[in-house]
Amino acid sequence: MSKINKNVILALLTLTSSVFLLFQLYYYKHYLSPKNGAGSSGAKGSKVGNNNIQWRAVKKFLKLASSQDMPVFLIDPLILEAINRDFDQVKNSSYGSVLECKYLCAKRDFTTFALLDHLLKNEENWFQIAERMGFQCLKIQSKDPRLDGIDYLSGTEIPLHYILKLATHAIHLVIFYERSGNYLWHGQLRLKGHSDRKFVPFRKLQFGHYPGAFDRPELLQVSVDGLEVQIPKDLTHFLEEVPHSRFIECRFKEARAFFQKYHDDISVEAMMFQKNAKVLLHLAAATLKDLGVRFWLSSGTCLGWYRQCSIIPHSKDVDLGIFVQDYTSDIITAFQNVGLPLKHKFGKVKDSLELSFQGKDDVKLDIFFFYEETDHMWNGGTQAKSGKKFKYLFPKFTLCWAEFVEIKVRVPCEILNYIEANYGKTWMIPEKTWDWKSSPFNVQPNGIWPVAEWDDVIQLY
Amino acid sequence: MDEWKPGPPGKPFGARKKRGWYLAWKYRLTNQRLVRRLCQTGAVLFLLVTVLVNIKLILDTRGGLPEDGEDLESEQDYEETLQHQEPPRRGAAGPRRVLDVEVYSSRSKVYVAVDGTTVLEDEAREQGRGIHVIVLNQATGHVMAKRVFDTYSPHEDEAMVLFLNMVAPGRVIICTVKDEGSFHLKDTAKALLRSLGSQAGPVLGWRDTWAFVGRKGGAVLGEKHSKSPTLSSWGEPILLKTDVPLSSAEEAECHWADTELNRRRKRFCSKVEGYGSVCSCGDPTPIEFNPDPLPNNKVADVPVAVIAGNRPNYLYRMLRSLLSAQGVNPHMITVFIDGYYEEPMDVVALFGLKGIQHTPISIKNARVSQHYKASLTAIFNLYPEAKFAVILEEDLDIAVDFFSFLSQSIHLLEEDESIYCISAWNDQGYEHTAEDPALLYRVETMPGLGWVLRKSLYKDELEPRWPTPEKLWDWDMWMRMPEQRRGRECIIPDVSRSYHFGIVGLNMNGYFHEAYFKKHKFNTVPGVQLRNVDSLKKDAYEVEVLRLLSEAEVLDHSKDPCEDSFVPDTEGRTYVTFIRMEQDNDFATWTQLAKCLHIWDLDVRGNHQGLWRLFWKKNHLLVVGVPASPYSVKKPPSVTPIFLEPPAKEEGGGPGGAMEQT
Repeated sequence: MSKINKNVILALLTLTSSVFLLFQLYYYKHYLSPKNGAGSSGAKGSKVGNNNIQWRAVKKFLKLASSQDMPVFLIDPLILEAINRDFDQVKNSSYGSVLECKYLCAKRDFTTFALLDHLLKNEENWFQIAERMGFQCLKIQSKDPRLDGIDYLSGTEIPLHYILKLATHAIHLVIFYERSGNYLWHGQLRLKGHSDRKFVPFRKLQFGHYPGAFDRPELLQVSVDGLEVQIPKDLTHFLEEVPHSRFIECRFKEARAFFQKYHDDISVEAMMFQKNAKVLLHLAAATLKDLGVRFWLSSGTCLGWYRQCSIIPHSKDVDLGIFVQDYTSDIITAFQNVGLPLKHKFGKVKDSLELSFQGKDDVKLDIFFFYEETDHMWNGGTQAKSGKKFKYLFPKFTLCWAEFVEIKVRVPCEILNYIEANYGKTWMIPEKTWDWKSSPFNVQPNGIWPVAEWDDVIQLY
Repeated sequence: MDEWKPGPPGKPFGARKKRGWYLAWKYRLTNQRLVRRLCQTGAVLFLLVTVLVNIKLILDTRGGLPEDGEDLESEQDYEETLQHQEPPRRGAAGPRRVLDVEVYSSRSKVYVAVDGTTVLEDEAREQGRGIHVIVLNQATGHVMAKRVFDTYSPHEDEAMVLFLNMVAPGRVIICTVKDEGSFHLKDTAKALLRSLGSQAGPVLGWRDTWAFVGRKGGAVLGEKHSKSPTLSSWGEPILLKTDVPLSSAEEAECHWADTELNRRRKRFCSKVEGYGSVCSCGDPTPIEFNPDPLPNNKVADVPVAVIAGNRPNYLYRMLRSLLSAQGVNPHMITVFIDGYYEEPMDVVALFGLKGIQHTPISIKNARVSQHYKASLTAIFNLYPEAKFAVILEEDLDIAVDFFSFLSQSIHLLEEDESIYCISAWNDQGYEHTAEDPALLYRVETMPGLGWVLRKSLYKDELEPRWPTPEKLWDWDMWMRMPEQRRGRECIIPDVSRSYHFGIVGLNMNGYFHEAYFKKHKFNTVPGVQLRNVDSLKKDAYEVEVLRLLSEAEVLDHSKDPCEDSFVPDTEGRTYVTFIRMEQDNDFATWTQLAKCLHIWDLDVRGNHQGLWRLFWKKNHLLVVGVPASPYSVKKPPSVTPIFLEPPAKEEGGGPGGAMEQT
């Protein structure tokens, strides 16, 4: 009997599983095959991607956006890269003339769009309509960083991200906010305790791992795979921005605590210096931006940003850092052209380069060039009268965006390491007597310039 | 495999008679071992494939890998601690369907407790006299309104009648008297109390104590009353304890059509009371106004900051007028509330606007001033592209052509460095002294009360030097100081585009309002075309003033300027008069003249280089201070400037010189 049972059970199992298998194959085909069928599905005109899940989700979303008068634009780096490769073709193609689905049908989990916050109207309304259209919606909001810098204000939370899921594909809508300093900001996507972490594979998002800062892009209307969509006009620039867009908010709360402890200097001289330094920084930033040279806040200016979100009134200059590989002699002429004459030039491109420009009202702009070694970075210093060289060591760092005195500037992402390398663990205590040759935590003597080279490496104007 | 396809799949554990059929099959198969082996292997393979397809299906539909979510968690922990504290909901949940209400009334103290929570307590001396009224939501027990009507004083009973009439039927009304509440409680009010079912209210006597709980348009739920035995003593303190049965949420709500607007309305109306027909079930007043768009609107993207405190009824009235103004852009409006008050926030949410709360810093005037600073900084942070901001206050009515007025004049701020602000308010623009809605002036004083601030002025000059909290300064007085104003001037209309209706305020009381604000002229004509706006620029304005002075007729300076006959009974003429003004800061005669004219006389307002412009009996009147004003050269030699003696000390002038406009 046992043998009979075994066979019977086996037979039954096989039967049921074949029924299951058929059902699943059917289900699988119905829902998933369009994903793979991108290349082969090219057919007639605008019906190009009709049975592709990504394409359908995008189309539905665009329809929703245009019906609600929300001028969204595409910022998905994967798609934009593909578009950028054959940009001319995309630019000239018109609605409905496409024969294959080249960009939107590729297999991926998300398509990312952006919208400017002030164009986000009628929120409750479009959310409802989206749900009626079959999207599952998730909204991520947070407090408004633009109010963070102001004492004791608390606003309503602002929406940062929307995720609209249609079957297996999701539209990720990033809300861009205008910030002081003429740039666009988006927030970090943080799930709250009660939200569904499996709603979509959040790890695979292209935006939202960190807050980000972007130049405001000019937009261009193009037809992509038969759909009218807006994209950044300068795609190359936008795509370059994406990987380096991480933004660090100033630590307003800590800065307030700092001022409670040490009080702000509100003397006329202090305010004059802060005003002049701000003007100088704006001018320097604009000049370097025109040249396309990356720079970051260094030394005292950087400390001012990190510790108190403002210019330290008793510092006497504005300090910037630039990677030596970004050095061009145009820097000197460009600064001269905007009314900042060279004050001194120390070192040479190969070693310890440092430029100093004379701003108005006795405020100096110091530019330190940074050299990269295998395990650290450093910049140099030179004492004019003795020819002594100094070296300031920093742990390796990358660059992030920050906002400082109403301007978008770079700072080292590994900011605490950078500050502590320069100022030690006591950086939060103001130090009014500062000697650049001995006070920094990371200064090292670095020999002396050979006298023969002095004319070249110590230039005073 | 063919053998494994039995005709109909049938029921596997089917009826007994099918058993034979199975056995037959089995018998045949044991004889064919090979086939059997083959089939078994086939079946196993089949199962394997099924399993594989299943796995793939699961992977594809879920999209993410299981560990995806977990990395995110480290970032989320911080969020959870920070953002998990949701405000507790009062009264809404729970199986409890009865509220236990305590009401206390006495000479020096009143309190009301609902379910053990004190919702009203007033034992301050010389304050809170009269009838305290509390309205509870009949479904949740939530306090929806709290008012006190000093019915010892005149007219307060009218306000109470107005308020009680606005309360929706079904709400729970609680009344309690502190000190005295009957002296000016007139018949209309008593009749209303009777209609609420009160026995004692209509017969409330001098210094009686009284506590009442009832449902509007329904049953009385409790009442106690203690008569005062003599004129010089009070009724006994009384404590009324009663149970209030809660009704279902369904009954407490109106059934408006399910639109976004009505959802906002519903949220609002379930929380607060006393806003009249906005919560009426049958015919609610609209909360969206859709005024006509303004063609060529130059201020559509100028942010509007509404500075508010805890006067939600004022804010409601203000926002209604603001949102009805032609060319308004609701997306640019932000309301800044000084303090964590709920009700103003509810009003803001009703209109679908943005609201920001501000933890109060410092006291009195300095508190207002710090609130202003935070609000101004915030508005420019929120709209970094904006070059200007419109600053409004919660106790202003906004003229229908407010934005049209600004749209036509805002270019002056861009083109003329000597302009400090554009204001909608003319300090001297009373019913009898303002006439021409198309006319603009330049003045050396900063009127406020609805004005435009240039971002560069704020960021570069005002913000860094703003008075610190320990300086108890008025922000507007500070802005008027020469160190800040630095010789610049404001542009104002002859007929104000805002109306100051606030009676309760830091520097405000009913008498003061009646004397200085009530009769202010307020433009109600839509789409006024301003005349010759470019003539308001610094140099052009001088040309314009000199032209006016040249064509003006000199008044008879032998007459008393306080007499009505001083200005002839004509219309549409331009007159000039010269008054004595020894130096730039000598306003003695002007102040006396202002008193005669019944205009603002508490400090000097509305002057431009010793010249005042206003209308009198529909004639344009120019007043020139001689010899301080440069326009003194226009004085004919024969004319002696008018000199008015400052009054002797018994005439203090108004409710104290320290009064300032807020």
